Amino acid sequence: MHNVRRFGEVGSGFWPMLSLGFSLLLSLSWLVSTLAAFFAARSKTVEALSQEMLAEARARRKRVVLGSVCLIVYIAAMPRIGFLLSTLLFIPAFVLALGERRKWILIISPLLVTALTILIFARFVAIPFPKGEGIFAEFSRLFY
Amino acid sequence: MLEHYLNAFATVLLPQNILAMCLGGLWGLLAGALPGISTSMGVVLLLSFTYTLSPITAFCMLVAAYCGGITGGSITSILFGIPGEPSAVPTVIEGHALAKQGHAAFALWVFIIASILGGIFSVLVMMAATPLIANFALKFGPPEFFALTILGLSVVSSLSGGSLLKGFLSCFFGIFLATIGTDGITGGERFTFDTTILLGGINFVTAMVGMLAVSEILIEAEEPFKEYKGHVGYRGLRAEMPTLAVYKENWFNLLIRSPIIGTIIGALPGAGATIASFLAYGEAARVSKEPEKFGHGAVDGLIAAECANNASTGGSMTILLSLGLPGSNTTAMMIAAFMIHGMQPGPLLLSTRPEIVYGIFVAMLLSNLFLLVLTIMTIRLFVELNRLPYSVFSAAIVILCVIGAFGLNNSMDDLYIMFLFGIIGYVMHKFDIPVAPAILGLVLGDMAELALRRSLLLSLGDPLILVSRPISVVLLVGAVFSIVYPLFKKPKMLQGL
Repeated sequence: MHNVRRFGEVGSGFWPMLSLGFSLLLSLSWLVSTLAAFFAARSKTVEALSQEMLAEARARRKRVVLGSVCLIVYIAAMPRIGFLLSTLLFIPAFVLALGERRKWILIISPLLVTALTILIFARFVAIPFPKGEGIFAEFSRLFY
Repeated sequence: MLEHYLNAFATVLLPQNILAMCLGGLWGLLAGALPGISTSMGVVLLLSFTYTLSPITAFCMLVAAYCGGITGGSITSILFGIPGEPSAVPTVIEGHALAKQGHAAFALWVFIIASILGGIFSVLVMMAATPLIANFALKFGPPEFFALTILGLSVVSSLSGGSLLKGFLSCFFGIFLATIGTDGITGGERFTFDTTILLGGINFVTAMVGMLAVSEILIEAEEPFKEYKGHVGYRGLRAEMPTLAVYKENWFNLLIRSPIIGTIIGALPGAGATIASFLAYGEAARVSKEPEKFGHGAVDGLIAAECANNASTGGSMTILLSLGLPGSNTTAMMIAAFMIHGMQPGPLLLSTRPEIVYGIFVAMLLSNLFLLVLTIMTIRLFVELNRLPYSVFSAAIVILCVIGAFGLNNSMDDLYIMFLFGIIGYVMHKFDIPVAPAILGLVLGDMAELALRRSLLLSLGDPLILVSRPISVVLLVGAVFSIVYPLFKKPKMLQGL
């Protein structure tokens, strides 16, 4: 990309190299300042984390990982089973991943949110959502 | 000009546009009032509703949401003591103190009137100033535009939070992302890895949805459930309507000082609503006859913060419409909205699409009036909504993100890119790297590169062209000042925000 150049032209590579060069310099500065802070703090005694705090940190990470997995599975499943079914399944899974256990929320919210979404975006705004494949496509066509 | 205004009023007052303003205003109030949803996130989620709307209807909805978001942040501040937006922190200090003393309805009335008057004042300034600035900016050539984009990028220092180093790192990351795709000058491919997905570059709506909204949901997912039960006893607005004397006592604060501070600060790239509300609040405390009341429910402090907060919207929009510069996250979303509808905000917009610019003026003016009614009608609804489980809101927001990213090009690829940017945004948050500068870099990086390369083509490669014109020199000096000034003059109250 550096060969495409006219007279007075800095070339396609100039701007990306400039931004990446500055990013590299700033990253190195950050690394140096972090290492300096680390060595400065090494002499100080650090309180060990309690079991409860460690368990809480693990629970937090678990919620984020499960939430992310739900989202990527939702996106991957959408072209195969259709937007409607994937949304209907995604909501209870995601809400469960966030730690919700109340049955009425797990049952009512998927139905309500999916119905509103289909009504507004598929019927009113007319976004051509994926319908899925085979039998799932037939099912989706009943609604949008 | 009068003809443009008459046409704009006739268009904006069509039933579908009034409905769009009401719905946008309601959505904005909801986004502002619910902790976890910011105004910018509210506007980005609303974009998916506007794909199939006419441009003017879309902007009626979006500007109403912008004004509503800034207003709504104060409802939870007063009733729950939780700032829906960082700009509402002074409102928490004074408004919630009044509410705890049993004057919640009184504080809400004061906030509503001050917000609406501040908003209307700034819209009037916007109407007068935008054509003047845009006409001046028509004289700009590529070197001036380059300097202008550098001025826009210089707001990184204000958006960086604690660390300027991390702010600039984030900004250069955004600038690099903007280089992905087809080169605007030579037509060559850059960083596309021979795929068609990246040929058109990274769509910044998709990136914004991921970095702002999806990452925010993941961050919120870390926290245990929040249900706000401990609000003060709110019995309805009729309980305590303030007398006219309250406003008469504060007329200078309400009509002149705070709206002027808000509008000017809002117009400064990167300053925005938070600095505006804090500065106006600080100024009110400085000139107050009863400074000891500040922190314990000072009415003049509440008026100043709310008035300046809402007045910043008109200032930000003036710079966006006249120069094409996003002064804040939310106005960066507005650039995305312009691009979705095939427009580029800036000095040319006023001459090429005057109906849109004048339509936005009128829509913002009317939105502020509608918000007066909408806020009064819906306060109780927002109180009740805050009791709903946040998990369901999170799921609904994720679905809106998916719809927003998919609806842009009806492409599944955009959903994967959105997810990727959601993870990137989350990781940036974990390392305390601010996301806003990356978005700014993504929005302005392409414009800066094109302006620089066109300037160098004009000068046959001589870089001195960038500093040989008076306007570009002034703008570049402004950029240096914008970077350096916050380092030395950050108000004490803003530290840590």
